[in-house]
This record gives sequence, C-alpha cells and structure tokens, in this order.
Amino acid sequence: MDFGLVIPTGARESKDVDLAIIGGGPAGLSAGIYAIRSGLEAIIIDKGNAGGLAEEAPYVENYLGYKGIKGEDLVREFKEHAMDYVEITERNEVKEIIKEDDRYLIKAEKGDYRARAIIFATGTTHKTLNIPGEKELFGKGVSYCVTCDGYFFRGKRVAVIGGGNSGAIAAIYLKDIGVEPVVLEYMPRFMCEKAYEKIIKERGIPYHTNVQVTSIEGKDKVEGVVYKDRATGEEKKVEVDGVFIYVGLIPISGLAKKLGVETDEKGYIKVDLTMRTNVPRIYAAGDVTGYAGQIIIAAGQGAMAALSAYEDLMLK
Amino acid sequence: MAYIRDEDKKYLKGEFDKHLREEVKLIVFVGDNCQYCSVASAIAQEVAELHPLIKFEEHNIGDDLAKEYGLEHAPTVVITDGDRYGGRIRYVGLPSGYEFSSLIEDIIDVSRRTAEVSPEVMEKLSKIDKPVRIQIFVTPTCPYCPRAVRTAHRFAILNENITGEMVEAMEFPEWADRWKVMSVPHIVINEDVQFIGAYPDEQYINYVVQAYEKMK
Repeated sequence: MDFGLVIPTGARESKDVDLAIIGGGPAGLSAGIYAIRSGLEAIIIDKGNAGGLAEEAPYVENYLGYKGIKGEDLVREFKEHAMDYVEITERNEVKEIIKEDDRYLIKAEKGDYRARAIIFATGTTHKTLNIPGEKELFGKGVSYCVTCDGYFFRGKRVAVIGGGNSGAIAAIYLKDIGVEPVVLEYMPRFMCEKAYEKIIKERGIPYHTNVQVTSIEGKDKVEGVVYKDRATGEEKKVEVDGVFIYVGLIPISGLAKKLGVETDEKGYIKVDLTMRTNVPRIYAAGDVTGYAGQIIIAAGQGAMAALSAYEDLMLK
Repeated sequence: MAYIRDEDKKYLKGEFDKHLREEVKLIVFVGDNCQYCSVASAIAQEVAELHPLIKFEEHNIGDDLAKEYGLEHAPTVVITDGDRYGGRIRYVGLPSGYEFSSLIEDIIDVSRRTAEVSPEVMEKLSKIDKPVRIQIFVTPTCPYCPRAVRTAHRFAILNENITGEMVEAMEFPEWADRWKVMSVPHIVINEDVQFIGAYPDEQYINYVVQAYEKMK
C-alpha cells in the first residue's frame, strides 16, 4: 500500500548565491536544474511545498512522456530530479526583497539570502467569485482545493463552479472518489480540453453551460447554489452539500512589483521571449507570466529564464 | 515491506547527518482495533533506523506514559526529547502523505532543541503562560496542511505551555465532524477559537493569543 510519503527538503541557513529562484513549482524547479548545470550557484525558495499548483491537479494527461499521472506524482519526480542539482528550501516564505548595490537581499522566514539575480516563479493562486455566501460559507462546504477536501463529500452532491480544465479535472476526480459533482460553466459551451469533455460525458457528470452562479446558500453549511440561465434569464437552484470553485487564477506578483517590475493590468509579470523583465537581472517564469497555465510551458519558461540569467551574469 | 523508498532513505540520512544534534524520541502509541497502528510503527521504525540519535519506542494507549501525555487515540506519534517537550508535539493518526514531511522537519527541530520564528512572533509567544492546545485537522493529500501543522509544532518547541496536535480527519471522522471540518487545514485552539487555512506565523500567533486571552 502506498502512503504517498512526501519528503521535505532541507536548508535553513542563510547564504549568498548567483541566482535566487522564488517559487518551486515546475517553472522554478526547471530553472534550478538549468541554472546549476550552466554553472550558477542557485537556490529555490518556496513558501509552501515545492510543486506549486500542479500538486493539486488530480490528473495530468498532457505532459510529454506521461500519458496520465497524478499531479502530486509528477511533481515528486520534478522535485527529486531538481534536488539532485539544486538546494530547495520549503515552507520558507519570502517577506521582503531589498535592492543593494549589485545584489538583492532576500529576507525569508528561515534566513536571508543575497543574490545577483532573481527569477520570479511565484505562480498564481485561486480566484474567488465574490458572490454572496462564498466568504461566509468558506470551510463550511465552500472549498478551492479538491485534493484537500474532496473526501469530506463522499456520497454527497457538490457543485463545481467553473468548467475549464481545472474545474473539469476536479469534477472527474470527485466522481472517482465517490462524490456526485455537477459542473456549472458561465460560457455557452464546454470550456475544457476535448479529452476532458469526453471523460465528463462518459462518466455522466452533469455539465451545465451558459449559467451564471449568483449565490451560494446555506445557514451553517452549504445547502445549495443559485444560478441564472443566461439564455432564458430563469433563476434555478441546485441542492448541494459542497461547492468547489475553479474560476481562474490570479498572479502572485506583489514582491516583484515592489522592485519596479512591470505587470499587465491583471498583475501578470511582463516578460520578453527570453523571460527577462524590464528590470535587469530579474526574470519571471511560469504561471505568473500569464501564459497558458500549463505545466509543460512553465517548465520551458523556467529553463529559458535560467539560461538568460546565465547569459547576463556570466557572459556579459 | 519497506514504506520509505531507498532513494528517500538515502536523502533523509544525509539530512539527518547534517542537522541532528541531540537525541530524539519517536514514540508511537498503539491500541486495539487500530487500522494504521502497525503502519505507523513500521514507518517510525524505518525513520529511526536512519540515524543513531533517533530512538523508536512503542507504547500503548492506556499505559502510564500515554496518561502522562494525555493521549487517548491510536495511533498517536509523539516526537520528543523525553523531557521538556513531553507529549506536546504529536500526530493523531498516521502522518502519511504530505504530513510525513512535517514529521521529518519536527525530528530535526526537536533534535536541534529549537525552531525559527521572527522576533515579533517570539515576543507574543513568550507571553503565553497557560496551557494552550492547538489542534490541526488535516488530510494526507492536502499540500497546504503541513505548514499549519509545523507552525503549531514550532510554537510548541518554543513555548512549553503549547501543545500542537495534528489530527488526521479521515481517520477520525467523528472528531472532525464535531468541529464541522469540511476544509483543511482546520485549526481549533483550546476547543474554542477556530480558523481555516495555512496562515503565516504573524496571523497564526494572533489566533493563539486570542484563545489565550479568553482563558483569563
């Protein structure tokens, strides 16, 4: 029997490096491998577990070389690969970054790090819907993490709000562990990959399109979701015990912005094709750049960012 | 059958060699009709075999040490120096999945006899002079939960009035139901103050202080 034992990474001491990589998701881990292999001294600093949001993906079926793998298993392989090269420090939140002459002083929970260059691979976090009931019933049936909380709803009915890839995967996962999900999608069509659409249909998971969720109802716990049929304007209610919200992501770019890094109006860090930002020796990679939100793209961007850092630090 | 993979053992051995300073007891409390007790003991034993400073012990729920520590559920895993930390750093239910990483980090901190918090958090923490029990309800597949568990355990290492108790919500559903746990990490302090989420130390300590203030 597999108990999925997750191994922590070490590092509690402060140190000076060429390159600090903030965020240990697929982008950061890939950047770490490329940085060390090219000859840079680097460290990956993650506020939680290395792995990022990919860890929450119940299944990944579009990463090259893997026909189907659990997000947490794929991430474990990434992490093990990266740990052969680069030091990763986890549960070590960066609090502040101060620009010194030719270095950045990175003040984190477990220590201070000085770096000549920084890659922001800080990723994204779940977006909230901002509808009545969402905040009030958080933890009382409203959740944003299906691998964390899905088991509490076995044998019960839940709504998955948002039918994009994340929502579709969440619904499939819930169905697999014995929950009865219903997907509510704002757009008038399936918004997930064709491959997920097929599974959703095969497993008989209801997927309502063109609906706008207007409130989550319940007194001490979630009792139902009220939504409007956008075609007819008719208001409907579905009785559920839980609600999983997958309506998109918001970038974690606050630390970068404080250093003068430009972002777009949504807060995604602006990068060129080499992952350089407008600030010299600061790069960004992965979901925080706003490209696609795909593991394979994040990994590629991380590699590119590390190569750019190498070029700027060693070849100029 | 080994529960920890060989390559993980090799890595953990390296980490322990680097960081362990003093002896650590890894005590597993077992009981009757306990589905995961033998697994908990086997995993703890495998961990203990990785370094001479880690000592494995098995006890029974109901024996003197369990009573001294106030333990009632099996399996419970306690990490301690056998003295100052008593039974205050503990896991009720199997520390599997993501919680295995918490267990390893606890072993290192207990062996170092210290943990890191900022000076501001330490100041608030040092004012807690009455027993405060922090329970953290988790699931093994929750990537955010170890942060909440470790914060409570770090606080417990730094203040002898604090007990940090992880509770595996899947293994103890009635217990989780009592606090209406539907999202994890769900933190219950002194069976009174509750919050949900893996908050940074600065916010976490404020909930602890709030629970402490209410005792006055």
